[in-house]
Amino acid sequence: MNYQFDFHFLTGNFGALWEGLKVTLQLALVSNVVGLILGFGLCLLTLNRWFFIRWPAQLFIEFFRCTPALLQIVWFFYCLPMLFNVFIDPITMGVLALGLNLTAFNAEAYRAGVQAVPREHLDACVALGLRPWQRTLYVILPQALRTALPVLMTNGISILQQSALVAIVAVADLMYVGKSIATEAYRPLETYSLIALIYFALSLPIAQLVQWLERRQDTALAR
Amino acid sequence: MTAPLLVAAQPQASFVPDSAGGDFIQLRDVYKSYGEGLVVMDHLNLDMRADDRLVIIGPSGSGKSSLLRVMMGLESIQGGTISFQGKSYIDGNARNHGKPLDVRLQTQVGMVFQHYTLFPHLSVLSNLILAPMKVHGLSKVQATEKARLFLARLGLESKLNAYPSQLSGGQKQRVAIARALMLEPKLMLFDEVTSALDPEMVTEVQNVMMQLAEEKMAMIIVTHDMHFARNIASRVVFCANGKVVEQGPPAQIFTQPKEPRTREFLEKVLHLD
Repeated sequence: MNYQFDFHFLTGNFGALWEGLKVTLQLALVSNVVGLILGFGLCLLTLNRWFFIRWPAQLFIEFFRCTPALLQIVWFFYCLPMLFNVFIDPITMGVLALGLNLTAFNAEAYRAGVQAVPREHLDACVALGLRPWQRTLYVILPQALRTALPVLMTNGISILQQSALVAIVAVADLMYVGKSIATEAYRPLETYSLIALIYFALSLPIAQLVQWLERRQDTALAR
Repeated sequence: MTAPLLVAAQPQASFVPDSAGGDFIQLRDVYKSYGEGLVVMDHLNLDMRADDRLVIIGPSGSGKSSLLRVMMGLESIQGGTISFQGKSYIDGNARNHGKPLDVRLQTQVGMVFQHYTLFPHLSVLSNLILAPMKVHGLSKVQATEKARLFLARLGLESKLNAYPSQLSGGQKQRVAIARALMLEPKLMLFDEVTSALDPEMVTEVQNVMMQLAEEKMAMIIVTHDMHFARNIASRVVFCANGKVVEQGPPAQIFTQPKEPRTREFLEKVLHLD
């Protein structure tokens, strides 16, 4: 390989990359807020004792789990406006697609957390005279959140990576800006490597934090 | 007379002890089954006095745990009635499908389980004060004061701010007992509370129960530990196939059982020891 690396051309594009990064962060953060809140609501619906509440919630989850994220984004951008005759700005649309996708995955994480609460704890709540809502609030939720936290965070990182998919529908995120610069400068190797490095640098600390949390939970259980 | 250690000093309601069967608790014709095949309480009759310590023994599947779970309101019955402190407590034919009719009565029953049920995300103190604050409306200061008292008497003061994961199995069960006592129950149910413990931790938990016994706490205990049963029971009840086969003072049941089925069971379990 005798390729001559040249990163100098990138100095003129820092501004554009920064703008792209801001869009990416915005997509990832807002999607996570949506996913964390709606995900818990959806989880409660899937655990509802009534079939007609449980069933649509489960269908929603399966829809997002069993279709490609890329397809979901494309569908939201092209089909939703056609169906409902609404035109929402691209970033909001991206947040909607990514956020609902994350909602489905987070709901499953929460559900696993709720189901990991030992049955005996529910009995103990009855024995202590706690009402059902007190049981949910003081005993089930805190334990479920703890169990679910590593998975919720991993889902959060993965939505940061998935957010790059919105570049395909011309949302000017980091990936999209990178693609433009690479094409203009004929320097795909340097550009994409730098972009990869940025995604990596954003995700690694969170991934490390997840590992640390899991180790801590393991030692707590081992005691 | 010295002040009671674990049981909060309180008048025994309006209840007058009955020398005959006892009307603290009366089970009449109680029926419970899981589907067709498994009848765990087959028209069961049982009486208990306020100072009784019933130890229920019997082969597995004989409905020992079911009896406790029904009394606690964790499971329903399909027939018969149960009264508690002279009041109607559970009615198998009532609209609520044989669950406790009176929540106030239900809160006067405390239960400790075989598996550890301390909430792992809460400290020992928070475990103890959760229900008194949320159910009985105690202030945090009052509840904390009370929790300190109970823990001190159990020798667990130093564990006030520990988390359940930092306690030994025996300590966990003692805290679980303290947590139930915080609500000042009139009746305590113990469902094989030492079965999951390492042998060296069994005694410390049994000692707490003996202490409760000395303070005249009404208890129903399910255990496989016949030695302990003999020590703590005021009356031993042998159940099989959902019925009370035989009951009496421990000395009589363990040395001169009348029923062949009781004898057969005791020979088996005592031989295993």
